[in-house]
Order: sequence, then C-alpha cells, then structure tokens
Amino acid sequence: MSPEVRLASKTVDLPDTPEAIDAYFVEHKWSDGLPVVPPTEARVRDMLAAIRRDPQESLGDMPPGWRAATIEKLAINAVMAGCLSSYFPVIVAAVEAMLDPAFNLYGVQATTHPVAPLLIVGGDYARTIGMHWGSGCFGPGHRANATIGRALRMILLNVGGAWPGHGDMATQGQPSKYSYAVAENEPDTPWEPLRVALGFRPEDSTVTVFGAEGPHNVNDHVSTTAAGILTNCCSVMTTLGSNVGWYMSQSQALLVLGPEHAATIARSGFSRRDVQEFCFNHARMALRELRLGGMYGIHEWPAWMNAIQDEDVRLPIVLSPEDILVMVAGGPGKHSAVVPNCTFSRTVTRRITI
Amino acid sequence: MERTIRVLSPVGDTQVKTLAAPPLPSLQGKTVGFIDNRKTNFEHLVGLLARTLKEQHGVAEVIHRQKAHAAVGATPELLAEMARTCDLVITGSGD
Repeated sequence: MSPEVRLASKTVDLPDTPEAIDAYFVEHKWSDGLPVVPPTEARVRDMLAAIRRDPQESLGDMPPGWRAATIEKLAINAVMAGCLSSYFPVIVAAVEAMLDPAFNLYGVQATTHPVAPLLIVGGDYARTIGMHWGSGCFGPGHRANATIGRALRMILLNVGGAWPGHGDMATQGQPSKYSYAVAENEPDTPWEPLRVALGFRPEDSTVTVFGAEGPHNVNDHVSTTAAGILTNCCSVMTTLGSNVGWYMSQSQALLVLGPEHAATIARSGFSRRDVQEFCFNHARMALRELRLGGMYGIHEWPAWMNAIQDEDVRLPIVLSPEDILVMVAGGPGKHSAVVPNCTFSRTVTRRITI
Repeated sequence: MERTIRVLSPVGDTQVKTLAAPPLPSLQGKTVGFIDNRKTNFEHLVGLLARTLKEQHGVAEVIHRQKAHAAVGATPELLAEMARTCDLVITGSGD
C-alpha cells in the first residue's frame, strides 16, 4: 500500500516495553487479555498491502456497538492478534460473511448462549497460508488457525464492542471465543469439499462462518459401518439441553467427521447426502422429552410440528437434511465431533479474494 | 529519555452520536410501549409494570408488542409503529 494513503485511526504513544504496552491495552479493554503485537503504522500498512481495498471502506456497522468495520480497523486487530499479512484476505472475507444478515451477528454477539463464530477455510488458499486440518485441528500449535481465529475475536471485541457482560451477555461463554478457526481436511474427504456442497466451485477458496458451540466429541471405537458411526453421531447431536431445534427456521448442526470415521462411512456406500439424510432422520427427540427443558414454550416451530399431539412422536432438530453440514477434519483416531449452532444464525460462506 | 512506540487504536468508530433519548419530564398522560423479547415471564412483568405505571404515574396507555423471538432484533415496521404511537418505549428481557 502506498505510504500516501491516509490512515484514520487515533494514535497513542506508549513506553516501548512489552509490560507497558500490554498494561495499556488491558486497561483500555483493547485486547482479549493475552499479550498483543503492538499495531504500529508500519505493521498495519504491511497488513493492508495484502489486499487491494481502500482502508476506509467499511464492510458495515458491526453490532452490538454498531461501529464501522473498516478495512483499516480489521488490519489493526489482525496485527494485534499476530497474523501474517497473507492471512488478512481470510479475515476480510470472514467479516463480510459475519455481516450478512442471515448470520444474525447481533444475536451471536449479544446472546446469553456461548456461541462463537467458527471459521472453516477451504480451498488452495488454506494450503497456501498453512491452515491446519490434521491432528488436533481445533487445538493449539498452528499460527494461521490460532491467529486468524484470534483476530476475529479481537474485531468482535474492539469493532463490534461485545465486551463480556456488556454487549456480550454470554452467561458462561466458551474457550472457543478466544480463537476458533479450522481448515477442511480435503485430502481425506471421500466426497466433494464442503464449499462445493454449498454451491462454490472447486477452484474457489472460501471461508464459512458458523455460529457455533465448541466441538462435542463423538467417540466410536466399536462401529464398522456408516449406520453404527452415524447412530453415535446422532446421539451426541440430540440432547435436551442443546440450543439446536428451538428456533427451527435457523437451526443447523455441523458434523465434523474424523478421517477414519469418514472412510468407514464412505465404504458403506454413503454419499454426503446419505449422511445428511441419515442424521436428519435419526437425530430426533420425542415430544414428551422436549417438553422437559431447552426453550420449550418459547420455541419457534413450523405449524406441522406445533400440531403434533402424540407425545411419542420423535421430532427433528433441523428442518431439512441440508441443515446438517458435513465436513472432514482431524487426524488418525476413532473420533468425530458434532458442532451445534446457536439456533438463531445461518451459516454463510464467502469467496476469499486478494 | 524513555523510548516510546506509537500504536493505532483498534476500536471502531460509530457514526451515531447519540444513542439515548432525552428523558421525559413527566409520565402523566403519556403512552408507554413495551417490546417483549418473548422469553418466559416477560408478559407477567409487563402486566405488573403497566398497572404500576397507570396507577402510580398517570400513564394513559400501555402498548405491548412482541419480537419474533428473543434472538432477533425488532423489525423496522415494529420500531416505526412504536415510534409513531409511544412517548416512551421499554425493551426488556424476561429470562
């Protein structure tokens, strides 16, 4: 980026020691509580150079503070989170996706539920920047995953203004609110990648945002068939205390299959669609049980579900098989994960552009 | 002399200068609106508050409207109706 391009953010001069810088950022609630990389003009300009966008262009007003999500502010927060400039196009695409009205970022930011946006990156660009999809993919150790997810949280805090207990009213929150980004394990996916299933081209690189709880483990060391593994998955998917299923028009669930489980399922002849159909038909709970908790009584169900009289009828957690998203991530082992959504946000995908 | 570093503020700017409406000097004869988030028990809270506002503060009318559900904002149509018909609107969460 040309040095003549004006940066609009206010500046502050601080003693140049890590202790003084972190103390200032923590005191002013400019950080997530962890040490930050100081966002100097030079570092911010390097970040901005990764993308051909006007720094003062706003992607929209970010709730709940309704502050302008300018490219410059995204770059400052990306620097603070420790991102390399090559990660910045992913962050911009992710913010564009989160500001899509379908994502309901206002609800995601302000709710008492512990929802955090999960970023799923797919395509060549994920490989280019070193996104990790193998062993421990939801955990620590990989800079791209760790800092891209952290940058999103910084943006939600500093641009959106969702401070815990003031703007972000999460009763308990969750560790995924520090950082929550993963890549799809495409080499071990027996079907088309998630982004292709969602309507994008194989050559596209994309970021998908999903308003998510943390991953709920599915342990199945026993099953040798698709039906066996998916029965375990559906058991984890279907819990009375889950948020999924109460506001049915927006409920979705994400099934993250470990590569070994995915291979076993594919050997049973299951397509991605078969996995979705199976889960749609088996991840169900009887009306008798649903009446006991969750958000029963203030739920938003379609008329046909509200009309059910038989207490033993088992009702779905989402309205269609397409609302169960399926992807593969992780390394060796007999584990998968169910990621419930918050019941009031739809997943959104955006192409990554430079 | 102490060495310094210049950093940029990460905080977003808002175009909206005033978010709080000016206070009403009196509730006498006014119309008060409630936007109900549909969470359990808010309807009971509205009933209690409406009675108190009328009996103790001279409020003329209370209008009670509901959002689609707790996790979405009020629609522009609902906000326009409340702005048109109410002197004061209270949004709330029964939870």
